[in-house]
Amino acid sequence: MIEVENVTKLYGEVRAVDGVSFRIGKGEVVGLLGPNGAGKTTMMRILTGYHLPSSGRARINDYDIYADSVAVRRSVGYLPENAPVYDELTVGEYLEFIAGARAIPRPERAERIEEASRTCGLGSVMEQTISTLSKGYRQRVGVAQAIMHSPEILILDEPTTGLDPNQIKDMRRLLKELGNTKTVILSTHVLGEVEAVCGRVLIMNKGKIVAEGAPDVIAGKLKGKPRFRLEMRAAELGKADLLAAKFVAEVVSLSRGEKGHYTAELITTDERNSGELLFDWAVERGYKIISMVPVGMSLEEIFSQLTREAGE
Amino acid sequence: MSFGPVVRKEIRSYFNSSIAYIVTLFFLLFGSLWFLYLQRFLYQNVASMQGYFSIVPIIYILTLPAVTMRTWAEERRRGTDEILLTLPFKEWELVVGKFVASFLLLLLIAALTVPLPLTLLPLGDFQSGPILGEYLGMILLGAAGLAMGQFVSAFAVNQITAFILSVVGLLIITLADQVNALVNLPGWLSGVLNYLSFRFHFTSFDKGLIDSRDVGYFVVVTGLFLYLTSRVLLLRKWR
Repeated sequence: MIEVENVTKLYGEVRAVDGVSFRIGKGEVVGLLGPNGAGKTTMMRILTGYHLPSSGRARINDYDIYADSVAVRRSVGYLPENAPVYDELTVGEYLEFIAGARAIPRPERAERIEEASRTCGLGSVMEQTISTLSKGYRQRVGVAQAIMHSPEILILDEPTTGLDPNQIKDMRRLLKELGNTKTVILSTHVLGEVEAVCGRVLIMNKGKIVAEGAPDVIAGKLKGKPRFRLEMRAAELGKADLLAAKFVAEVVSLSRGEKGHYTAELITTDERNSGELLFDWAVERGYKIISMVPVGMSLEEIFSQLTREAGE
Repeated sequence: MSFGPVVRKEIRSYFNSSIAYIVTLFFLLFGSLWFLYLQRFLYQNVASMQGYFSIVPIIYILTLPAVTMRTWAEERRRGTDEILLTLPFKEWELVVGKFVASFLLLLLIAALTVPLPLTLLPLGDFQSGPILGEYLGMILLGAAGLAMGQFVSAFAVNQITAFILSVVGLLIITLADQVNALVNLPGWLSGVLNYLSFRFHFTSFDKGLIDSRDVGYFVVVTGLFLYLTSRVLLLRKWR
């Protein structure tokens, strides 16, 4: 159980986290989604006791993150961003240190280390120095470290960043597995990840929570309106000509190249067959389409749009 | 011992990263060369190790910072402090754990110098009292230097900065009393400089005296720097 009430964190003048409140129940898997610099990492650092909030309160399992910091840290497993590890130690030595630091009784240590390394697929590299490992293995060492004491709560900061597609698949499978028994908060800036593993999403932008809900609902909102990049040849083409078509909602950009070569970016109103409509419209007007590419909105645009909506 | 795992981890880091070997080798080689070759001990016809131990504070200026420079600066650069500070340790446990590890390395180095007096003892009429006192002084002085080095590392940007700042800091605090040899200061000021100086407090050990004021001085300095280090760590969370 995680309760956050009106938490603000200032770094000098910058409000990294700005009046954030939320509540996460036992056994939930929650995704913290947002562009870089949205305050996700800061929020996680506050929950794990690495930073203290400038104002506001947060409690984990009824322990206050300031007054009972050590008790909070005992019940939380944490994978920091970029999975920092001790390069000069071997995987085995490192996990042994963590097991000791987590005060796992000596007779159980070997078994727990074995278990964590099996869950994360580290069996073959236990004797290797961490500096010789690939990014994917380092990330797994970081996860093994976080789950060593089988904490009730797992806080994972961008667990899949920097992994290749196969490793991402493995990591997501692992996250799903962990989600069955634990409360998990994970941060990401990849929308698909949230849809794949989380039961609920919190969206942060500029230090605030701008939206919250089930992943499929949020994903629907986030996909935005269809958008196309068109390359056409035409005698003469202005913004007004484009807007004259009923299904064009907005002309994002229009530029003219050599010999009547135009490049335009449009947002259309029709959700389903705007591609067809665009094509028919161009033929009718005698424009020659050279290429037509549907473009997704960038995450930054989506987040700023969501922020605007939240503000209205 | 709650900080035991930290001690073990630090010692592994010292030896895996070979810093322990380099520092030990430098210490032993420099000390012996100074004593036997530059001071020409064997030609001096005195049965005293004073010449050896008087150089120890100077060797410390270069070796102790090399041991402590990584303690916090390197953790922060690699981001591993985020792991360390979110493990269920109190700040002082981490600080003491790191200090104990560096202190054990110091004890190891001290132990490795023992063969030198042992080979010299049969050559003359040495007194064991002064030598034991000198060892005690060497260990206490080293502890204070290590605590200071860790404190510097806690706020330095990287390990090179930590090294240089610690060298400068140790140089000043070790040789503060030497100012009195250069200029004629008013009595109270020269007293203050003497009181602050590591070397000044070390000299009585060098004579074979164990003065509780000097022991107390080194213990207090060590404790003070360790306390300050844990305050710096806590303060960083508020940033």
